[in-house]
Amino acid sequence: MTDVVIKVSNLKTYLEIGDMVVKAVEKVSFEINRGETYCLVGESGSGKSVTALSIMKLLPKGIANHPTGEIIFGSKQDLKPINILNVQEEDMRNIRGSRIAMIFQEPMNSLNPVYTIGEQIMEALQIHWPEISDEQARKKAIKALADVQIPDPEQRIDEYPHRLSGGQRQRVMIAMAMVCEPELLVADEPTTALDVTVQAEILKLMQNLQKRNGMSILFITHDFGVVAQIAHKLAVMKQGEMVEQGEVQQVLDNPQHEYTQKLLAALPENLKQKNRAAMLASFRESQGKNKDEKDIIKIENLKVYFPIRKGVFRHTVDHVKAVDDVSLSIRKGQIMALVGESGCGKTTLGRTLLRLIDPTEGAFFYNGHKLSSLSQKKVLPYRRDLQFIFQDPISSLNPRLNIATILTEPMSAHGIGANREERILLAQDVMQQVQLAPDYIWRYPHEFSGGQRQRIGIARSLVLNPKFIVCDEVTSALDVSVQAEILDILLTLRNERGLTLLFITHNISVVEYISDEIAVMYKGKIVEQGDTDVVISSPEHEYTRKLLSSVPRLHHRGYITRFAD
Amino acid sequence: MIEMTTKNKVRTSSGYARTILKEAFGQWSARIGFFWIAVIALLAVFSPFIANSHPYLIKTNTGISSPLLKYLEPADIILLSVFITILVLVYLRKRLMFSLLVVLVITGITSVISFSFVEPPQLVVYEKYREMEKQGKLEWVINAPIPYSAKDYLRDYGETGMEEPLSEDGRTHWFGTEQSGADVLSRMIHACRIALGIGFVATGIAMFIGIILGGLMGYFSGIVDMLGMRLVEIFEAIPTLFLLLTFVAFFGSSLYLMMVIIGVTTWPGYARYVRAEFLKLRKMEYVQSAIACGLPLRSILFKHMLPNGIAPVLVAASFGVASAILFEAILSFLGLGLVDNPSWGQMLYQAVQSASFYWWMAFFPGGAIFLTVFAYNLMGEALRDAIDPYLKKTS
Repeated sequence: MTDVVIKVSNLKTYLEIGDMVVKAVEKVSFEINRGETYCLVGESGSGKSVTALSIMKLLPKGIANHPTGEIIFGSKQDLKPINILNVQEEDMRNIRGSRIAMIFQEPMNSLNPVYTIGEQIMEALQIHWPEISDEQARKKAIKALADVQIPDPEQRIDEYPHRLSGGQRQRVMIAMAMVCEPELLVADEPTTALDVTVQAEILKLMQNLQKRNGMSILFITHDFGVVAQIAHKLAVMKQGEMVEQGEVQQVLDNPQHEYTQKLLAALPENLKQKNRAAMLASFRESQGKNKDEKDIIKIENLKVYFPIRKGVFRHTVDHVKAVDDVSLSIRKGQIMALVGESGCGKTTLGRTLLRLIDPTEGAFFYNGHKLSSLSQKKVLPYRRDLQFIFQDPISSLNPRLNIATILTEPMSAHGIGANREERILLAQDVMQQVQLAPDYIWRYPHEFSGGQRQRIGIARSLVLNPKFIVCDEVTSALDVSVQAEILDILLTLRNERGLTLLFITHNISVVEYISDEIAVMYKGKIVEQGDTDVVISSPEHEYTRKLLSSVPRLHHRGYITRFAD
Repeated sequence: MIEMTTKNKVRTSSGYARTILKEAFGQWSARIGFFWIAVIALLAVFSPFIANSHPYLIKTNTGISSPLLKYLEPADIILLSVFITILVLVYLRKRLMFSLLVVLVITGITSVISFSFVEPPQLVVYEKYREMEKQGKLEWVINAPIPYSAKDYLRDYGETGMEEPLSEDGRTHWFGTEQSGADVLSRMIHACRIALGIGFVATGIAMFIGIILGGLMGYFSGIVDMLGMRLVEIFEAIPTLFLLLTFVAFFGSSLYLMMVIIGVTTWPGYARYVRAEFLKLRKMEYVQSAIACGLPLRSILFKHMLPNGIAPVLVAASFGVASAILFEAILSFLGLGLVDNPSWGQMLYQAVQSASFYWWMAFFPGGAIFLTVFAYNLMGEALRDAIDPYLKKTS
């Protein structure tokens, strides 16, 4: 079982965009043995996806070229190994799908919505094996669906993609990729868009299928937790170059390269050991006197329903219960983490607290003021104290306004600062607090990187000097090292300003790092809440237990497989 | 450091708009279109100076005088002063909103001044100076390049209707003469005003109504949107051409009436665009954050949403101007347009009125309409490409 399936040596991929040449992949060499999972890890823009696309030969011809390198592919006895870079497009089409298959990140976009899943799997089959009859193809497709554990494959084969959940769609994608029994499966961040519990199931499924078929997997991810679960070998990429590669055990436990060490150190679960204890202690000390301060936010039986309207007169037939009877209180100076899978209503709850969405029933209070029943006009003065930081650093800043306007406009609306000059000085002050150079203030959002934009987002919420901030998945669009910086900024600000945060996230290790208390939300209800350390170490509710056990962790290698078996 | 920041500020002061314009007018088609519109605009502003029966300067025994300036109408003066203001503003590179405000103020002031103080003689006798010249009453005379006014029917030359270009000795009519005997080139130059005016004013009215109603529909959605969309559907069901025909039949043909009717019947298109954009933008996180910061509604609508949603409207507007020009041409071609004032469509109408085909009456005005509509479409096309993120190769 040690024969090499694919051997990439000295691969360079240059992309020409206009007059610019981007050296996307620079001298990358690795080989994957049969039945092995090889992980490419790196931050965004490190060239890991371009490497995969080079192997698939899916890069646009006019833009991409390979100055050096070869990709030798093939392990079957009866076929001679080939260099993929020299293969004609016609022959490549036969190799793609049948001998090398690929699955993509977004299960929502990679299935064609106008065909049933059965038709799509059968098409993949019949293209590569034209001799197969329709009936045989259908049987094979049903078996493939059964292999990826889709319930009732005989019925579900005739369904359209929109009837399936995200996890099921990714299973169908895997079924489609596996149906021709490829030698190599290229998986480009296949679980990034999925919830942790679903991710755990998909990872386990891939491992099982690999064991059965003996295929090799090239797995691309940015998540070291996933790497620890699934990989046999891994390579760390940085700006197109491979800085380190080797056995998982060896690299994760004893990283040699400086960059790998930095990445591993930036993981929240590693940060925790270093910083958190010290930070918490200093914070608790400063807050010592106010320990039993009253709740800054108090939510009582809050319900937010969205009506489902039908018919000519748009009458309401049913409701989507986004937030269903939630009661919660947050003490001053606390960081409360709200966790749950996508669609569980955590974002809706956060937006309702800011009156961006109107509540259906129930009430919530800020410092004893009942905000839930005020009119939008009467809420205005409270907007100064309650702020929101959004998830997506790209869409949360108005592209037409420069940073100065973005930061000073809220101040002038609330009468902070006497004139524009003073407000700009105040804004520059806040920019320094979030570690941005003050002279960036005249720039436009598109001139910044993702992490910098998120800092601008934080600065915008800080200029009004708020007491309570809802942070909605503020780090989920960022790379780990940037995430660590943002989390540190938030913790420092909390200590300096005595802020109270509602930290909405799906990332458990971030929760462990940053929060004092945790509330677990499931299908619109809060199923468990309490002190973070207590809940994490001894979860009560069934869903919390499932959620916690699904989290891929660096230090519990192979845990998921054990758990699922 | 301070110097650098101020420099940055100037460089990016209108970031997005400038990149879009740069991209759009980097294309040859857009440049050609813009060039043609600029030529038409120049002709429109300076038409009395280019084609006029009144000489620039004359010397009589009583002294030197300028009949052309004496006969200038208030409209000519308003156009000239607005044109000069725009030139100055473009030269000074002022901000768009500021420039618009200045142009509006200048228009208002000059209208008041010129309508109250400029009084051209009531009775215009176009052949007066030609007769004086023939009788030797003038020591010398400087004429306009085309020495015929749009409504100068050359009565002193007798019957001059429908002469082919350059067919007569002693008089130069580059594009021939029309039915009543006036110079076609002169009439075409004076008609530029109507062509541009009807396009801009009608589209301006439509855009104004469309943006306001569409914006409110998109932002508030719900019941406002429901009622608004029904209104849009009602207005879309009105056939503009038939409405124009009816109004012309009842109230006679008036340029302003045409502008208003075209404007109030074509706004639904713009309203739809703005509504769709606003519905999308309302959910954008930067708009949500503007609400969360407690900004006033005016700022949310006009500062955070409108600049991000205006691009498709501008594209539609450049096509709208073209179609308004066509509407006017169609009406005039049907004989329901302006009677005495020159317009391109009206000249086309004359080309086919009698049994013989007067080619110069069809070719020159028809070509002008074609080129102008084509130029607007080229610009609209280029703008659309520039704002479409999917067509861009980079980024």
